[in-house]
Amino acid sequence: MSETSAISAGFIERRDPRTQSQGVEPGYAHTAQRWPSQPLQRRPLTAAELSGPSGLTRRLAVTGERAASPQRGDIAGTGDKRAIGQLIHLRTRVVDEDGAPVPGAVVEIWHCNAAGRYIHPNDTHGAPVDPNFYGAARLVAGDSGLVELRTIKPAAYPVPDSAGWWRPPHVHFSVWGRVWLSRLVTQMFFPGEPLNESDAILNAIRDPESRARCVARLAPTAQGPQDALVYEYQIVVRGRKAASSLP
Amino acid sequence: MKRLVPTGEMTLGPFFPREFGLGANDLTSVGGVRAEGEVIEITGRVVQLDGKPLDNLILEIWQADREGRFDNPKFFGWGRAATDAAGVYLFRTIRPGALRGRAPHINFLLLYSGLMRQLQTAMFFDDADDPVLNAVQPAALRKRLIATRNGNAYRFDIRLRGEDETPFFDD
Repeated sequence: MSETSAISAGFIERRDPRTQSQGVEPGYAHTAQRWPSQPLQRRPLTAAELSGPSGLTRRLAVTGERAASPQRGDIAGTGDKRAIGQLIHLRTRVVDEDGAPVPGAVVEIWHCNAAGRYIHPNDTHGAPVDPNFYGAARLVAGDSGLVELRTIKPAAYPVPDSAGWWRPPHVHFSVWGRVWLSRLVTQMFFPGEPLNESDAILNAIRDPESRARCVARLAPTAQGPQDALVYEYQIVVRGRKAASSLP
Repeated sequence: MKRLVPTGEMTLGPFFPREFGLGANDLTSVGGVRAEGEVIEITGRVVQLDGKPLDNLILEIWQADREGRFDNPKFFGWGRAATDAAGVYLFRTIRPGALRGRAPHINFLLLYSGLMRQLQTAMFFDDADDPVLNAVQPAALRKRLIATRNGNAYRFDIRLRGEDETPFFDD
């Protein structure tokens, strides 16, 4: 991979605000403390915003034991070390706005366990920790933009001090695209979950079609592995396939 | 070809794995190779509207090398830090040079619970003539993007919301 994949300014365009999360959300109290009160500033885009970082694995190590195939991970374990919960395979494809795969995209994935508990010390939820489930992986997309993770399905959990807000089962994603402005952090949801309808985070995206794209698709069970459900998900990062380089 | 709509951003949440946030805040070497240039430290405190410092907030930076280049094999200009319980982050890096048409600066990106989208800002080393710094309106806000120097240490505090709020960019 090249040190820098610079692309010209036209390859990053403004997004339609309806397709994106809003800043301050009435159902999500922290946003009123943390989202800026002033309108965001506009700036001219230069090489600093439209270059790298590519070759990110020089600073962020791929997790797991299968360094030979960094596009695949397994955080569910096997035998005595198998995490409790419904086995799932997450097949996630990272593409750009042209639909072109982004090979080499680094993808961080994390989620709670099958009881709704994160391993993080700040999670004080009373649900039990699963000693066989840590719940985090860092992978690198292959030539087709695909990363695959064998894991367990996360549970719903209540948000503290929220008057009845329960997070639906969801998986966190942190993804790098071709340039600095392609950076994307989001959450993936599961189809058919009743809590999806009321979740303040998912519903911060006003456009129904854009919201629907944040929900994974269950692959036909007849085609998959016998012991796991397969969910397919596509992440679109900002930018188009690199064409011209900045001087 | 029909252009696809970029996936909606959502909050990092409060439980970003600790080990993901650690070990990437020193940009002075990569793969055992030390970068050339003036080693500096950048530190600051990140607070919310009521002044409370924010724990486990993630900051990522992207910067040029000492000559203003992004393609130096001996310097990788990307780093990540997490704030501690006092809301304080720290980067060790090389002071960037000017690049074509830009004054020396470091791009910052912030991710956190309660931030539905990433926040983008930039740190400058002095009150420079720079097209991005000059784009900040009103002009009185520009000084909030200029770090305070103390020897080799630069301080860049960030207030997400409220009085003295840091200017952020939407691209």
